[in-house]
Amino acid sequence: MSRVIFDLAALAAVFFAIVMVANRNPVRGVLSLVVAFSALAVCYVLLLAPFVAVIQVIVYAGAILVLFLFVLMLLNLGPEARPGSSRPVQAILGSFAIIAFGVLLLETLRRSGARVPAPSGIAPASIGDPASLARLLFSDYLLHFEAISVLLLAALVGAFRLANRETDR
Amino acid sequence: MIGSIPLNDVLVASAALFCVGLAGALLRRNAIQIFLSIEVMMNAANLALLGYAAVLGSTEGQILVFFVIAIAAAEASVGLAIFVVLFRNKETIDVNRINLLKW
Repeated sequence: MSRVIFDLAALAAVFFAIVMVANRNPVRGVLSLVVAFSALAVCYVLLLAPFVAVIQVIVYAGAILVLFLFVLMLLNLGPEARPGSSRPVQAILGSFAIIAFGVLLLETLRRSGARVPAPSGIAPASIGDPASLARLLFSDYLLHFEAISVLLLAALVGAFRLANRETDR
Repeated sequence: MIGSIPLNDVLVASAALFCVGLAGALLRRNAIQIFLSIEVMMNAANLALLGYAAVLGSTEGQILVFFVIAIAAAEASVGLAIFVVLFRNKETIDVNRINLLKW
């Protein structure tokens, strides 16, 4: 049962990602990615990661994609011009590279399928709950956590410095 | 197996999502759509990480995904600020027409 739900959610995620890539209108692309990332959150819940699923919805689908939408509205871009008019070789080589990469990836998966690492017993249902995640995050990974907070501050200052109109004169 | 989900399903979904993101990054010319495709690729990597974390019964994989999402947020804010400045200076974010560093 959970396999069916997982496969459906994963299919929906891939489908809406394809809609994003195939669509010339970037606003529609962002909106379909919101659906794709929400479907991925369903997958994350089924992979015993409810906390990450909530983060996915709030931070990814909620904050990051809305930021994209803000910038798109701000720039007021028209739809992308027809491709291939200026550089047809680029598109052909790109498609070829993607197909080759996809085939290679699936073939690698098929061959290494037998060598999936042995699970350490049954995965306990507690691996994804916020309490055990927080315990690890604030003990073993405290330094990394603080580094991330400094990085976010640096990104904030950098984005402000870049986009501030007064400073580029 | 995670419950009744085979790890192979997770990995195939992740591979498919990564290929879609790669296609977008290579074929699109709008810089923002290329950026969105990179986000899709990051999510594909996150999916594979969570699949392995669940199979191995470890919480470390989820911590890594948490950090990836935090870095994606930082990257999105700086990247979009760059696009805003670029659009202000060149009136376009078509990557074929932004070639200041080319020659």
